[in-house]
Amino acid sequence: MSTRALNDEEVLAEMGKMVAFIKQEALEKAREIKVKADEEFAIEKAKLVKQEQQAIDAQHEKKRKAAEVAQKIAQSNLTNKSRLKLLHRREEHIQDLFSTGRTSILTLAQDQGRYRQFLEGVIVQGFLQLLEPAATLHARKSDVSIVEQAASNAAAVYKQISGRVVDFKVEGTLSNDGAGGIKLISGTQRITVDNTLDERLRLLEDRMLPEIRKDVFGVNPNRKFYT
Amino acid sequence: MAAQHSQGIQTLLEAEKEAAKIVQQARQYRVQKLKDARSQASKEIEEYKAAKEAEFQSFEDSRAGTTSNAQSAIDRETEVKLQQITDLYETNKDAVVKKLLDRVILVEPELHRNLKKVEA
Repeated sequence: MSTRALNDEEVLAEMGKMVAFIKQEALEKAREIKVKADEEFAIEKAKLVKQEQQAIDAQHEKKRKAAEVAQKIAQSNLTNKSRLKLLHRREEHIQDLFSTGRTSILTLAQDQGRYRQFLEGVIVQGFLQLLEPAATLHARKSDVSIVEQAASNAAAVYKQISGRVVDFKVEGTLSNDGAGGIKLISGTQRITVDNTLDERLRLLEDRMLPEIRKDVFGVNPNRKFYT
Repeated sequence: MAAQHSQGIQTLLEAEKEAAKIVQQARQYRVQKLKDARSQASKEIEEYKAAKEAEFQSFEDSRAGTTSNAQSAIDRETEVKLQQITDLYETNKDAVVKKLLDRVILVEPELHRNLKKVEA
């Protein structure tokens, strides 16, 4: 390379080149910075948006699930209420039926022949339950005479069936509001057999419920088990 | 010579200053971009949120409609069943009352099965 000093033109040229070089370097650096800035901008924005979107999605998912559960609960409540209404209506009808029964038995005592037969049977049944040598028969005041008759027949039948003898007393202590029948108390006053029409009806109401249900409302289609 | 030198150096220094300015501008651009990232991101997020809310709201509305439909459907069904129950009752009650009464007076006295008749 020539080592002579540069003349003015060459100096200017060199200066120009250096200035241009400096500017070029600056522009390149600036461009690098800008490109990197754009990249970082995109990444940062995407990260923020994704984060928040996930949070929002999770929130909405929870809300949606809660709404679904609430709807299921509401639906279940509706069907429950409906079933209860049906049960209530059936219960009302059954109670109505029983009260009809209770008023009907009051007329049973009017058929004298059948009533006497009934009393005899009921007294024998009472004797056979007590299996005591002495008993008191409590009847309605209006029934006392019929009961005395029936009771002596009954005592004979009792002896025939069980071979045992019973000594009975008739008392007209039952209220006349009752439907009829007999209450037997053993001689020692320790055993009571309530064989009145009212008590018998009450026991039947209780025991016959499944049969009554079937007769009035039909078989339950949802029932799976029968003993 | 010295004057030329200092002029040259001056030119170079100015060139450096210009260069520094250019780089500085680029750096400011970067800072601004980062701020923009945050603000644009939150705008996008707001839009997304609003869209999701609207979706959820329409879902809710359609559901509310079906709930009230279900309610009235069940009510109607229940009414029909209740009427059926009452009709069945009316049809069958007399027979059942008769059955009850017949059993009330039905008596079949028996000696307890563990006992034997006492022969006199």
